[in-house]
Amino acid sequence: MMDSTNTVRPAEGAGSVTDSRGRLGVTMDDTRKARRIDVKAAVEGLNFFYGQNQALKNLSMLIADKQVTALIGPSGCGKSTFLRCFNRMHDLQPDTRYEGSIMLHPENINLIGKHVDPIEVRMRIGMVFQKPNPFPKSVFENVAYGLRLRGVRNRALLAEEVEKALRNAAIWDEVKDRLQDSALALSGGQMQRLCIARALATRPEILLFDEPTSALDPIATARIEELISTLRDQVTVLIVTHNMQQAARVSDYTAFMYLGELIEFDEAAKIFTNPSKKATEDYITGRYG
Amino acid sequence: MTTLLQGDPTEGHTSRAFDSALAELRLSVVAMGGLVVDQVAAAARALLSADMDAARLVLDREDRVNRFEQRVDHDAFQLIALHQPVAGDLRMARAISRATVEFERAGDESKKIARFALRLGEGEPQGPVVAVARYLRHMADLSVDMLRDAVRALDESDAAMAFTVELRDAELDREFQAALRQILTLVMEDQRYLKTTIDTVLALKGLERIGDHAKNVAEQVRFMLSGENVRHPMLQRDG
Repeated sequence: MMDSTNTVRPAEGAGSVTDSRGRLGVTMDDTRKARRIDVKAAVEGLNFFYGQNQALKNLSMLIADKQVTALIGPSGCGKSTFLRCFNRMHDLQPDTRYEGSIMLHPENINLIGKHVDPIEVRMRIGMVFQKPNPFPKSVFENVAYGLRLRGVRNRALLAEEVEKALRNAAIWDEVKDRLQDSALALSGGQMQRLCIARALATRPEILLFDEPTSALDPIATARIEELISTLRDQVTVLIVTHNMQQAARVSDYTAFMYLGELIEFDEAAKIFTNPSKKATEDYITGRYG
Repeated sequence: MTTLLQGDPTEGHTSRAFDSALAELRLSVVAMGGLVVDQVAAAARALLSADMDAARLVLDREDRVNRFEQRVDHDAFQLIALHQPVAGDLRMARAISRATVEFERAGDESKKIARFALRLGEGEPQGPVVAVARYLRHMADLSVDMLRDAVRALDESDAAMAFTVELRDAELDREFQAALRQILTLVMEDQRYLKTTIDTVLALKGLERIGDHAKNVAEQVRFMLSGENVRHPMLQRDG
């Protein structure tokens, strides 16, 4: 039986809801068996500045391991900024500053720590962008790229890993006979799945999705959503989406942000049926002026 | 915390079409509930005061209740399909959809009572009805009140009123059991009017069921307002 004290309820005082073993809590799997959810990353007191402009304000929340966490909120609320902190994308821009910590479990590495190499972070945290951005290379080379960067030279191993990544990204059947064709010849949905395969090839621990389907048609969107659902078996997913129904469909946990603050964070089912905060309810039901 | 709302939420949704669809749905179910309250009151009057006009009125209007059910059901389905409501809006759509079914069933019960009243008017012996008239009257009053308050709670989003409806259901159940005991005594003394006795028991059961439907609506209202499922508390406790 589920012990209500262990239920994942990160809404109140997010960041302090772990049990004595540092775990996020207990959830019910599809067979109604209690399953412990571990923490993959712990965000604590995160502030982020573009120059003088503070874009994120004292964010604290836990990212559940091998679960999908969605970030929702109106344009400009900071959800993409938050996402980009995880792989230090902001380091590429001048005059930006992080405060606080994003501890990657289980090693407890602070992803935004000054002494942590952003390149190393990006090796472990993959990202998929709004618009598919395959390299102007063959399908095969797109997926093999990250592996080659890591020094994989063995052709058989490369081929094996590329196939595995393409299969995991649910695109293998569509491209297996055209691995040497240009990736740019694929359809939008295929390109996006290829980018997911490229990200998966290096076995990231967290995969970040920044509105991955906003440039895709409904069928391609459904395939990506289905893919995200299956990915949760192997990787922790953090997704920013403008599409509320998408967040409801794909995420296990949902965080609602507004004006750089985390307003509410809870199980997706709770957020979309009975949110605790009025502001969340107003946003998801479309009552914002 | 920063001021959160840019607009006044009482002004409604950004989508006006959604606003009016939701408002219309709510008005329809309240109108339907009001009609069913009238139906039950008229059926009780037909039975207890031998008012044949009231009985015929109930039967004439039954079709309207059914059409209401079809319309609200269709509209709720459309609203869900076209506007994909979430949170409070979703709970409201579901509560309305379920309340409609409860109202329709309460309407069915009143129809059966009205038919029985007509048969009595046509010469079926009245003995068993007279014997439990006190219970019938009390149960009719109670079930009409409960149903009326359930409709009001739905209309006015009043959780406290909904809760009082749920509490009164126990009283209705007690009255039903007492009436059954009374009628059982009657049957043991005199078996001549078995058919009317059975009809009378069915009428009593109908009133008791109307109370159940009112209670179910009230539970839906509380779920709509709080998001907490208040049905079957024993099940909830056992997890």
